[in-house]
Formats: sequence, C-alpha cells, structure tokens
Amino acid sequence: MKRAPLILGFETSCDETGVAVVRGSTVLSNVLATQVDEHARFGGVVPEVAARAHVEAIRSLSHRALRDAGVHSMDLDAVAATRGPGLAGALMVGFSYGKALAWALDIPFIGVDHMEGHLFAPRFENPEYGPPAVVLLASGGHSEIVHLRRWGDYEVLGATIDDAAGEAFDKLARFLGLGFPGGPAIDREAETGDPAAVAFPRALADRPLDLSFSGLKTAVTTYVRSHHEAGDLPPMADLAAAIQEAIVDVLVTKTMNAVAATGVPAVGGGGGVLANRRLRQRLAEECAGAGVALHLPSAELCTDNGAMIAAAAAFRLGRGEVTSPDAEVDSSMRLGA
Amino acid sequence: MKVLAIETATAASSIALAEDNLVVATAGRVDRRGHVGFLVPALDFCFAQAGWTPSDIELVAVDVGPGLFSGIRAGLATAQAVAGAVGAPIVPVLSLDAVALRAATGHRRIWAVVDVRRREVAVGPYRPVPGGVVRDGATELCSPAAFRASLEGDAADVLVVGDWRALPEGTLLGLHAIKTGRPRYPVAEAIAEIARSRAERGEVPHPDEVRPRYMREPDVTINWGDFRSEGPWA
Ligand SMILES: [Zn+2]
Repeated sequence: MKRAPLILGFETSCDETGVAVVRGSTVLSNVLATQVDEHARFGGVVPEVAARAHVEAIRSLSHRALRDAGVHSMDLDAVAATRGPGLAGALMVGFSYGKALAWALDIPFIGVDHMEGHLFAPRFENPEYGPPAVVLLASGGHSEIVHLRRWGDYEVLGATIDDAAGEAFDKLARFLGLGFPGGPAIDREAETGDPAAVAFPRALADRPLDLSFSGLKTAVTTYVRSHHEAGDLPPMADLAAAIQEAIVDVLVTKTMNAVAATGVPAVGGGGGVLANRRLRQRLAEECAGAGVALHLPSAELCTDNGAMIAAAAAFRLGRGEVTSPDAEVDSSMRLGA
Repeated sequence: MKVLAIETATAASSIALAEDNLVVATAGRVDRRGHVGFLVPALDFCFAQAGWTPSDIELVAVDVGPGLFSGIRAGLATAQAVAGAVGAPIVPVLSLDAVALRAATGHRRIWAVVDVRRREVAVGPYRPVPGGVVRDGATELCSPAAFRASLEGDAADVLVVGDWRALPEGTLLGLHAIKTGRPRYPVAEAIAEIARSRAERGEVPHPDEVRPRYMREPDVTINWGDFRSEGPWA
C-alpha cells in the first residue's frame, strides 16, 4: 500500500497560530502559539492584533513543527493552510506563508476550509469515526450542526442565527467579570455551582436544528441587573453554572434533533466550545441514551490547530484537488457551498 | 549575488530578480487588495523568465512598510517562507527608502510619501548624494496638514515623490518651492538594490528581527460596544 502523504498544515484563521505535521491519521507534531493574553486585554479577539501576532509567530513555529516531527522540509509531500472562513488579515498570513513554502519546495499547496478541518479532527483519536455522522461545530467564530454524509459531502443542517456559542460564553463571561476567553472561565466557575439555580430561556424551540444565543445574553443581563439591585443575586458559581447549562442544553438538544432527523449512528464534534466539560458530559449521556457513538477530539484538537488542516488537505490531495497559485483567502467561505 | 525582491507594501505589487546590478526579471501589478493572489504567480513568471530555481536565491529582500498592513504581511510571510526553505538570509527595506531612491532629482531635498490610509501618510526626508539618497530626518506617520507644515518649515527646495496623489486636493497648493515627481510607488528593483548593498555591508538581521514597520498601533475595536463595561462586576 502506498504510504500516506506527509503534510505540513497551517491554521491562522483567528487567534491561534497552529502548525502541524501529519501523516495519515498520525499527528507527528502539533505546535500552537496562542494569543489569548494579547486579546484578553480587550476582552475579545481583535482582528488587527491577531494578524500581527500570526506574522510574528509563523516562521519559528513552522520550523518547530518540522523539528518536533523529526522531518525535513524536503520530505514533505504537500503544504496546506486555512483559506477561510475567518479573519481576512489573519488568514492571509498562513495562506501566504504556506503557498510560498509549497512553491519554494515545488510541492502541491492546498487551501483548506477551516470547517472541513474541524470535521476531520476527530479521526486522529477515534479511528472508527467517519460518515455518516452528525457533527457539532462550535467556537467563538462559528456554531453549526453538519450532516457528514460522505467525506467531501456535507450539509449544514442548522446554524446560529446570531452569536456563535463561544461568543456567547465570551460576552457573558465579560459581563460577569470572569475574564477572557469566556468558555474556560465559565467552565471553571461553574464547577461548584448549581445548574438549576436559574432557569434561563432556551431559544428557537420551534426551529429544531437552528441555534440562537442573543436572547440568552439579554435574559442574563436583565436577570443580573434586577437581582443585583434587589440584593438577592445568587452566587457567581450558580450563575455561571446556569448560563453554561443553558448554552450546553441548546447545543445538545439541537445535535440530538439532528441525529433523530438523519438517523445517523454517530456524533462528532469540533471547535473550542467542544472542550467544555459539561458539554462533553451531556453529549456522552445523550448519545449513550440514544444508542449512537460519540467521537470527540481531545480538547487540544477541538480548538483550532494545524493538524486538522493537514488532515482535510490529505483528503483533498487524494482527490487531486490542489489550490491555484493565484488563489486569495476567502474569509466568508461556506462549508458545502 | 542573486537577489529575490518582494514588494507588496502599497497598491502596486512587484517581484524582481536581480543578479548584482542587473535586473533579470520583474513582474508587477497595481491592485490594492490582490497581494496574496499576485505573489506566487509572479514568482513563477520571474523564475521562468530568468531560468532560476528557488535554490539559486542567495538573498531575499522584502519591503516591510510603512504601507498597507495586509500587503506588508503577505509579502513578509512569503519572504520568510521562501528564505527559510532555501536557507537564504532576509533583508528588510523601508518603503520610503525605495521610493526616495528612484526619485529623479538634481539637488532638491526629497520628501517621500506612502499612503497608509485612515487619512494619514507616511513621510520621510532624504538628501541626494552621489549614487543614491540618504535619510535626512525622521520617518513618521502624519496628517496631510502636518505634512504641509513640515514642508513649509523646510528651507530647501523640495521634491515630493511617492503617492502624493493620495493627499487631499490642495494640500500642496501655494507651496512655491515644492515640485512633485515620480515614482508614485516603491518597486521591487529598488528593494533589491537597497538590500544588496546592506547585505554587502553585513547588515543582515536574524530572521525573527524582520518585522513589519506598521508605525501605528492596532485598531482594537471588537464591535462589542453595546456590551462594554455593562457588568456590575466590570
Ligand atoms: Zn475553528
């Protein structure tokens, strides 16, 4: 059998500079320069700050990824980079770097859909994962439920109509003064809290596959203001747990609705929000109850990374799909479109 | 010395290959937003034209600004990737230096202008010397009005070069000692020339020291205005 191609993958769509070397389903190296500290000052991801940090980090990260993998750039079969969706200025850094590197090494370059990268991520640690499946993708920049029919054949069954799930975590954590990024901050704070302390609303009950989080934002701020004035605000841990429960509940319910609608035997996940412990626990419970398999990447491969980009690129390369040298980034790229 | 020069700091992108004093291939395009799509096809074109392969490159020269942020980053990322792949050193060049070098002047002092948007320009004064120009004062980002004030305060006969067309109409009106001239944009051939002479003087920084020269703090708006400092614990 022919050996799987050795691919160097770059991910710079948002606030993580990720570079990885992948062969088949093996991650040979996966390095990351997170910009969390730089954005924490502002309470959210600042596009120009992100683009600046990528260009500072990418050269040395690229060298480190090769060194950690124990391979030489001459050994590579292809280079891949995220083409979109994401922040245009940030995408341009990894896309330009990857394209130029492939040119200098005279090997194919593959521009990858970031979301397709997330769809491939569970494969590294779950060999039995694959189509057909329903995949929940949720992060600070995106929230959607995808029907993975076959590799390369995806249908977005539902998506957020306003904020992304991670954005809701970020905004509410900021409102509560819990810091950035909001997901891990609320996850930590909620540890000792009672998720049933406050019953925040679950939006879009009439649209079984779509998500919405702006109503929750309003409900929380209204609730907190009035109870703060009345002096009977529940402890922070309870508030955090109740907010987390509301977000998680919506994500889990809609995912299981999609499972019921499609009849698939498996659920996958990706995006930073899938690192949330309560979400993972609830998905495990619900999937077990419904008799479907659950394949989640470890937290490290849930968040944005270069390995998932390389994995999706390997699939595209196998189909002979390489990216034209004159390609630009596509910040509003849409899965399956 | 075989030099690859990359210029994407303004609306005019270009690539040049030069061997010592001789430019052996160039490609250029004017497009404010198309830097990322321009670069690799232009590399392909130039290398085919010159009959070079990437491993022939002995020096990579790149314009690091000031100029258009995304263009600067696309050019620098490309330069870093190519230099790293072939093991060549990389020398950064300022856009204004490249503009001033190509100014057609006799004895006039030169002010080079590069558009950096947001109603500001990057400017810097230069003095002609035999065989080129030397920087003759600070490089800065300023408003068109402040630039006019600098010119009014300059006692010498002045030649303004670069993208002075980006200045609002009337900015230079009534300044009688001032002439305007070409070039409008920096070009890769000039980047190559400046970088080569620096490399020959041993001025080659560590690649991690080659950074964009934005000359402006990042815009930190994240569109959460409605949410800022609303929290009772904020
Ligand atoms: Zn993502």
